[in-house]
Amino acid sequence: MKPRRLLATTMTGGAAAALTLVLLRRRLGPLRLDRGRAALRLFVRGGVRYAASAPRLFVAAGEQRQLLREDLALQTAEDVAGTLGAMKGVMMKIGQMASYVDGGLSPAVRHTLARLQDSVPPMSAELAAQVVTEELGVPPERAFARWDPRPIAAASIGQVHRAVTLDGRPVAVKVQYPGIAETIAADLRNVALIRRMLRIAAPAQDVDALLSELRDRIGEELDYRHEAASQRLMAAYYHGHPTIHIPAIIDELSTRRLITSELSGGARFAELATWPQHERDLAAETIYRFVFRSLYEVGAFNGDPHPGNYLFHRGGKVTFLDFGLVRHFTSAELQPLLQMARTICVEHDPEAFRASLENAGFLRPGAPLSTQEIVEHLAVFYDTIREPGPVTITSDYASSVVRRFFDLRSPVAQYIAVPRSYVILQRINLGLFAVLGELSATADWRAIAEEIWPFVHGPAATPMGQAEAAWRVRRHAIAA
Amino acid sequence: MTADLYATATGLIERSAAAFVSGVPEDPADDGLFGPASVAWRVSTDLATPVAGLRSLLMQALHPLAMAGVDQHSGWRRDPVGRLAATSAYLATVTFGERAVAEQAAARVRRIHDHVRGVDAVTGRRYAAGDPALLLWVHAAQVDSVLAAGSLFGAALSAADSDRYVAEMVAAAELVGVPRPLVPASVAELGRYVASVRPGLSCTPAAAESMAYLLDPPGLDEEVAEIWQDVRDAAIAVLPDWARQMYGYDAPSLSPERKTEIRQSLGVVDAMFLGQPGVLEARQRIMLRMRAGRPA
Repeated sequence: MKPRRLLATTMTGGAAAALTLVLLRRRLGPLRLDRGRAALRLFVRGGVRYAASAPRLFVAAGEQRQLLREDLALQTAEDVAGTLGAMKGVMMKIGQMASYVDGGLSPAVRHTLARLQDSVPPMSAELAAQVVTEELGVPPERAFARWDPRPIAAASIGQVHRAVTLDGRPVAVKVQYPGIAETIAADLRNVALIRRMLRIAAPAQDVDALLSELRDRIGEELDYRHEAASQRLMAAYYHGHPTIHIPAIIDELSTRRLITSELSGGARFAELATWPQHERDLAAETIYRFVFRSLYEVGAFNGDPHPGNYLFHRGGKVTFLDFGLVRHFTSAELQPLLQMARTICVEHDPEAFRASLENAGFLRPGAPLSTQEIVEHLAVFYDTIREPGPVTITSDYASSVVRRFFDLRSPVAQYIAVPRSYVILQRINLGLFAVLGELSATADWRAIAEEIWPFVHGPAATPMGQAEAAWRVRRHAIAA
Repeated sequence: MTADLYATATGLIERSAAAFVSGVPEDPADDGLFGPASVAWRVSTDLATPVAGLRSLLMQALHPLAMAGVDQHSGWRRDPVGRLAATSAYLATVTFGERAVAEQAAARVRRIHDHVRGVDAVTGRRYAAGDPALLLWVHAAQVDSVLAAGSLFGAALSAADSDRYVAEMVAAAELVGVPRPLVPASVAELGRYVASVRPGLSCTPAAAESMAYLLDPPGLDEEVAEIWQDVRDAAIAVLPDWARQMYGYDAPSLSPERKTEIRQSLGVVDAMFLGQPGVLEARQRIMLRMRAGRPA
C-alpha cells in the first residue's frame, strides 16, 4: 500500500477506524467521502447517549439510574478484569474517545464500540465503597457526611456517586474500577497489537505519532490526579469568569482513583437545543471562547469537546466538566498554529501560509503542489474566521469539515501529516464545530477570534466579550 | 493448495456468534442439562473458548475414522464456516438450552450420523458416525481441550472444578449416544481414556490438509488473520506433545510476555464476538441466571 498520511486521522478516530477494518474483515476501500453527515448525526446521537450515562449530568439522576444495570454489577476486582482486561478496556477507551470522531467508521464498528461500552456494568455498592476506603483510609460513610451508595452515572473507567462533604458541600465523586489502571497499562504495552489496529485506520506510513499520543493520553487518564490537576488549573484560570464555570476540585478527597468535585446543575445539550436561538448562540460563543482561550492562554486543550461535558445555564453560562483528556501545549508548540491563522486569515499571504504549514510539519516541504491547491484544500478549516462579520455555523459546514478531514482522494492529502503534538487538536474540527453546527450558532467568529489571538488582541466584539474584558482586567489587577 | 480445496472462512465470527445467540434461550422453561450453578456454564464464555475450539478440532481430527467421516460426508469443504457454526450452535444449545430442546438437537445429530458410514481410505477400516467409540473420542477431545486451553489462557479451574466439569459433561456424551459407563467422569479417567486411544491416532492426509486450512483460513481480513495466528499458536501450545509431533508442529515458545499477548488477542477476538447482534444480551441472560442461582 502506498504510504499516506492524513490530516483526517485523529488519534482516536484512527484507532477506531482501525477497529472497523479489524472487525469487518472486508476491505472498505478508501474511507468514504460521504460519511460527514452520518458522522455528525452519530456525534449528536452519541452525545445524547453519552449524556444519558455520562458522569457529569447529575440533574436527571433518577433517569440515569435506570440505565445502570445493577443486577449485572461488577462485584469483585476479578469481575473488573474479566470485563475490561485483555485489551477490552483499551478498546473501550478508544471507542469512548472516538464515539463521535468517526468520520470513517462503518456502522458495524460503531456498533461494536458502542457494545463494548454497553457491556460494562457498574460496580456494586460494596466494590465502590472498597475503592473509596482504600483511597481515603476510611469508608465512604465516614469520609462524607452523606454518601449515595448507588452510582448516578457511568464514567471513564469508573462511575460517579453523589455525596455531601463533612463540611456540607454537595459533590460528585468519580470512583475508578479497581485494578483497571494496571490492566490497561499492561495492555497499552502491547504496541504491536494496537499498531495493528491503527495501521489500517490510518493508511499512514507513520502510525507512531498516533500510537504514542494515544498511549500517553490513555495512560494519563488512568491516574485521576492528572485530571484533577488539569481541572484545578482551569478552575483557577477561569475563576470569576462571567460565563465559563469550572467546578472546583476538593483536594483532600481526590486521589489516584478518586476525584471529588463540586456538584453542578444545569441543562443538558438536548435541552439546550430546545432553547431560543439567542440562548444557543450565547452558549456557542462561550464554548468557542473557552476552547480557544484555554488553548492560547492556558496552553491546554480539552480533547473531549463533547456535548456530554457541558451543562448549560441561561445567558450563555456554561459549566465545563471532565478534564480527563487534556493536553498541555508549550508556547513553542502554539506558535506555528498562530502563524498559520495569521498568514491565512489576517495577512492573506498564501505563500507564507504554506511556509508556516511546512514549518509546523503539517505539509511535506517541497510537495509538488501549487500553493493555490493547498490553500483550497485547507481553507475550509478557516472558513468561519477568514472574513469579519456574522457567520452561521451549520451542520452542513460541520459536515464539510469532516468530509475534508477524511478526504484521502485529494492530491493534497498524501502530502499532509499531523505532527504528534497536534493530533489531539483535530478534535476541534470534529468536536467543536459539530457542536456549534448542531446549534446553528451565529456569531462574528472572526471578531471573537481577534479578541483571543495574541497577535491581534482585538477589542471586545460582543457583550460577552466586554464582560470578559472586564474579567481580564480584574484578573490582572489581582495578579499585580 | 488448501485454498483450492476449501471455501474461504469469511463470516466465521459473525456466524459463530449467531450460532451462540441461537442457543441461549430468552425465557427457558428449565435449566437444561447443566444449569446456572454448573462449571459448564462458567467456562462457556471464557476468553480461551476459541483456543479450546481449535484444539478440539486438532485433537478430534487425529482419529482416522472420525476424520474420514467428516472428510467424506459433511460438506465441510464447501462450507467450512457453516459447518463450524453448526457445531457452535449445537454446543450452545446443549449447554444453555432447555432439556427438551437439547434432546431434540441431539436427536437431529444422531439422525444425521445414521447416514454417515463408509470406509476410511487410509486404514481401509469401515466406520459409522454413530459408533459410540468415535462419538466418545470427539466428546473427550472437546472436554480435554476446554480444560487445557483454560488452564493456560483462560480462567483456570481448580482440580475439584475440573473433575466436576468432566463429570457434568458425561450428560452431553450420553445425549449423542455414548453409553454412560463408557464416558470418563473425572480428570484421571479422562487422562486414562485419552492414553488408551492414542495408539490408534495418526495424522492422515485428510487431517493434515483440513487442519492446515483451519490454522490459516483463507478469506480473513489481513488484520484478523494476524490475530488468528495468536489463536493458532495458543491452540498448538496447549496440544499434548505427542499430538503436536503427529502434525509436525514446533512447540511455540510461551514466555509470560507471549502468553499475555495471546490473551490480549483473545480479548480482541472476544470484543469482535461481543459486537455481533445479540451476543451481549445472550451473555447477560446467562450471567443473570448464574447470579440468581448463587446463594446470597
